[in-house]
Amino acid sequence: MERFEQAVSLAARLAVDSVKEQFSPEERMEAVEKLEEEEMEYIPRPDTLKTKILDMCRENKVAAVSAAVLVLMALAIIFADKLTVYDPNAINLMERLLPPSKAHWCGTDDLGRDIFTRILYGGRVSLLVGVIPTTISMAIGIVMGMVSGYIRQLDALIMRLADIVLAFPSIVLAMVVMYTLGATTSNIFIALSIIGWAGTARIVRSQTLSLREQEFVEAARGMGVKKWTIMFRHILPNCLPSLIVLFTLNIPDAILSEANLSFLGVGTQPPDSSWGLMVSQAKTFAVSSPWMLIFPSLAILIMVLALNFLGDGLRDAVDPHMKK
Amino acid sequence: MKKYLSFFLAGVMAAAMLGGCGSAFDDGSSPTSAAGDSSAAQTQAAGQGETAQAPAGNTVQQGDNMIHIPSKNEFPTVDCQKNTEFYVVPLNIYDRLVECEMVDGVATIVPSLASTWDISDDGLVYTFHLRDDVTFHNGIKFTADDVVYTIERMMDPATAAMNTDFFSMIKGANAMLEGEADGVEGVKALDDYTVEITLEVPFGPFLANLATPSCSIYSREATEAAGDQFGIDPAVTVGTGPFKMADWVLNDRITLVRYDDYFKGPAKADGLQIIQVPDENTQKLMYENGELDVVDLSSSNSQLPYFMGNDAYKDNLVTGPEAGQYFYAFNQDMKPMDDVRVRKAISMAIDRQTILDQMYNGAGHVVNSMLPDGILGSYDAQEIPYDPEGARALLAEAGYGDGCELEIWQMTDNPDALAINQVVQSMLNEVGFKVSIKQIDEAAYYAERKEGRIGMTRAVWWGDFNDPDNFLYTFFTQRNTKARSINHKNTDVYQWLEDARAMIDEDERMALYQKIDTTMVQEEAAVFPLFQMDHIVVVQDWVKGFEVPWNGWTDTSYYKVSIER
Amino acid sequence: MLKYIAKRVLVTIPVLIGIVFLIFVMLSVVPGDPLTVMMGERVKVDVIERLSVTMHLNDPWYVRFGWYLWDALHGDFGTSYKLSRSVSSLIANAFPKTLLLAVTAAVLSWIIGIPAGILSAVKKNSLVDHLFMGVALCGVSIPAFSVGMLLQNVFNGILPVSGFASPRHLILPAMVLGWNAAGTIARLTRSSLLEVLEDDYIRTARAKGLAPLPVILGHALKNSLLPVITMMAIQISSLLSGAVITETLFSIPGIGRLTVDAINGRDMPLLQGTVIFTTAVIIAGNLVADILYCVVDPRIRVEGGK
Repeated sequence: MERFEQAVSLAARLAVDSVKEQFSPEERMEAVEKLEEEEMEYIPRPDTLKTKILDMCRENKVAAVSAAVLVLMALAIIFADKLTVYDPNAINLMERLLPPSKAHWCGTDDLGRDIFTRILYGGRVSLLVGVIPTTISMAIGIVMGMVSGYIRQLDALIMRLADIVLAFPSIVLAMVVMYTLGATTSNIFIALSIIGWAGTARIVRSQTLSLREQEFVEAARGMGVKKWTIMFRHILPNCLPSLIVLFTLNIPDAILSEANLSFLGVGTQPPDSSWGLMVSQAKTFAVSSPWMLIFPSLAILIMVLALNFLGDGLRDAVDPHMKK
Repeated sequence: MKKYLSFFLAGVMAAAMLGGCGSAFDDGSSPTSAAGDSSAAQTQAAGQGETAQAPAGNTVQQGDNMIHIPSKNEFPTVDCQKNTEFYVVPLNIYDRLVECEMVDGVATIVPSLASTWDISDDGLVYTFHLRDDVTFHNGIKFTADDVVYTIERMMDPATAAMNTDFFSMIKGANAMLEGEADGVEGVKALDDYTVEITLEVPFGPFLANLATPSCSIYSREATEAAGDQFGIDPAVTVGTGPFKMADWVLNDRITLVRYDDYFKGPAKADGLQIIQVPDENTQKLMYENGELDVVDLSSSNSQLPYFMGNDAYKDNLVTGPEAGQYFYAFNQDMKPMDDVRVRKAISMAIDRQTILDQMYNGAGHVVNSMLPDGILGSYDAQEIPYDPEGARALLAEAGYGDGCELEIWQMTDNPDALAINQVVQSMLNEVGFKVSIKQIDEAAYYAERKEGRIGMTRAVWWGDFNDPDNFLYTFFTQRNTKARSINHKNTDVYQWLEDARAMIDEDERMALYQKIDTTMVQEEAAVFPLFQMDHIVVVQDWVKGFEVPWNGWTDTSYYKVSIER
Repeated sequence: MLKYIAKRVLVTIPVLIGIVFLIFVMLSVVPGDPLTVMMGERVKVDVIERLSVTMHLNDPWYVRFGWYLWDALHGDFGTSYKLSRSVSSLIANAFPKTLLLAVTAAVLSWIIGIPAGILSAVKKNSLVDHLFMGVALCGVSIPAFSVGMLLQNVFNGILPVSGFASPRHLILPAMVLGWNAAGTIARLTRSSLLEVLEDDYIRTARAKGLAPLPVILGHALKNSLLPVITMMAIQISSLLSGAVITETLFSIPGIGRLTVDAINGRDMPLLQGTVIFTTAVIIAGNLVADILYCVVDPRIRVEGGK
């Protein structure tokens, strides 16, 4: 994400330069005057975080719809037991591999369990796996990043640590962690937190680096405010917009990572189920019973897509130049 | 200017990467690349009649008459002294002194490299008379010295062999393994074509034991020359078998071609190609594509319902009994399985017939002993009843009336075990157990099991050689019962197992094995036998002569199989 | 510049050692050893005990770590337990396959992603934009194995679904990886073009009719593609390491599958080798990207670039 932003701003600067070269100095002056006129007419509004997000919902229909879809999905997952009459783990060998029907909206799996029910309950794991590790990893990343950016003695150490984590192929690192701790759902949280913190740390660090030179921070320092107070009271709130965006964009990553781990056999363990696990369990039945593959795949797709749209929308609204 | 430089750099980088990949594809001549066109080539060949038959020889020949089979794993080596698991290549490129084959429906020891043999009355001395018309793939003649070499190589500590137990009953074998002797005292070449093997103590199953792939005979000259490349480099890995190694593209395929001077007459097929296909679903797709000729469905269990439920494949299924069985092993060092009543309650609560019918299409039968049909010494054991009420009562009697927690362990990423464990879980919960399924990864599973620390688990055993010893000794000796997390405490059984090995009278020996089996299964309920499955293989229309081997293994010889399009 | 490169390369050494250390520590507490897993059902306790001694499996992890470092510094990365071949030869065998797959996927993603990104940017907020960006986002929003399994079933009989024997075997896995990468490329192209097109200065110039859209687009495009190129370097390296799932699904014997097999088999030398190699590739990719960056825009100070 960081490089992505860097690349975009570089492109913009270069392009503007080369376009500028096309025009005579007079033309350029004229254009700048026009621009200034336009700016005079522009009445700035107080742009708090809240108004920005509200604006986004008004202007960016896709993001608004995505947010609505996410709320709906979350509700369905939370109230799963009200929406279905089946038990997600009840085995019924007489009803194996049934195609979708009125009784089983999404069909049944190889042990005769209702797939729609399992998607609802499996969503709990997928949602938790999206939110919890992202929260933990961002918390670690924020602290590490601020410390690294503010307390310069620790910078090299923390950044080398981040380098190791970032350079390590992440799925392999997660697998090794899962083997070390044992394959349980709660350990997935730990594994994904371990692979996720370094990216956040880098972004927070670079923001801290620029913020610490700003007047209000220097003023606070001059008044003898303690280091940690400065970090959490003055620097952290200023990083907040980019962190919110980052959070929205990290959740889908976590959901997909869990799916990949489940595919490799070290993710969610039965009888628990996640969407990723359901898809990978469909592997052997994909031809004869395609519904086992299609419905959980769709569930992942819709949720992750909605999160990505929302994240993009938030970024455009809140923080167009997330990283400078 | 610098901008263009960067374009240039990127271009160079991409070009270098592409250029470096010229060799990335495995062997361009491999036949799968032409799988789609093979039908065209085939009609052409048919039009030309006999003349189309390519001359067999030393060239790597990959015509239409190759047999293509899948393998889920890559083999570490095809040196079967250093490997305990992957025998398909050894079975096709080496020979044993004797072989075990189905003769009139009975697994029988038949001559191979040894044409006849004599056994002394005390059961200690075996004299093998070897064939004098056998040559290794490199043209060297096979002699008695090669037999001596093979046995000594296995027991040489420098070899670091894994199958030493197949020769350890030979006199002086363990001394060599411990580094106390330079050779195995009990093996002598009396002349070029006679070899004499003396045992430490009588060992009833010795001949059957010699027919296992691990006892394949190597050439002294070729194997010594090959050094550590033996079993790895196809050029130096030679045997006497019907096929010889032609090519090994790591993690992709092994190609064997027919050895025309094979002493039993040349094989019918031009060769055998073993293709790496780890995924069962992909195996099915490739079969349907015509890329695979023979797919073993018993080792790709998840595809069984698809092929069995589809009438189009009815004539393509080849079945045979498996000389082996599935069972649940109980760990008597763990609660609540230390109580025999709990163990019996578990077995009474599981409806094996329903599981077999619903999950495995009824392809097999329920068994009640650890000696499956087709194995020497198998007998009509008393049926273990399905009786959920009785199970509940027994559980209450054992003091678990208000619920009994039980852990079933299994490996992760084993959908077949998971499916049956989940069904068993729900059946056991019906009678008052609270079952949880614990999954750990393969390496951890085996490591914990070796230490005797895993809970109730589904296990499987297929016979290495046709003798009850191979089943009962493997599970119930003091050492093995721990290594398999059964941990039974019956010291009589430990002793009986050793006694049976040294018995010369076959009837007496079989009677003792039956007693051991009844004690362990019926009285102690140390294990709970489930099913003996039918081994089911799907073969293409053009594959002729394929039979399931006597032991129902996936790994088998393709000597008699032909491709007739 | 040379000094900068040298410095960056030197910094990678402690990172690599740290990774080796991490693996040793973590795998030393994981139950399981290579011999037991190799024997599987046919477990033989005395054989395992004897071979563990000859293979030094019983030594404490720090002793093995020390020996491993010593040998590695002498260019010997050991022999795989599982495949009884030298780790370097196994990597040399697997790498070209992963590389070919990654490059094909990357090229595919550029062919699709760049035009899609341009169109979306020019027709911002039109139906075309939403459609293209939707498709691009789908590529990064669905697990690779879902797509892979679907493709395998749809194209069975038309294209090979497993293995790596011919260029045709490459098509499906490259599509899976390429779709994912195309999503990133398309989004990058779109936003970097948009950033230029929506620059106040250029908007004004366009509004005043000083320059027609094609002219501006021409300039904007040329420059927008520069960061896309630097992105490509990063992307190839992440494709190289990220092919684990695709390689497993399509049975491609590349680095990714080698790594997974090594973990599953507790094949320490092989795991170390593949991880060190993959990490080095990722670091090299990032370095190339950074260098391209500086070449493109000398205003970026190399030291402060991070």
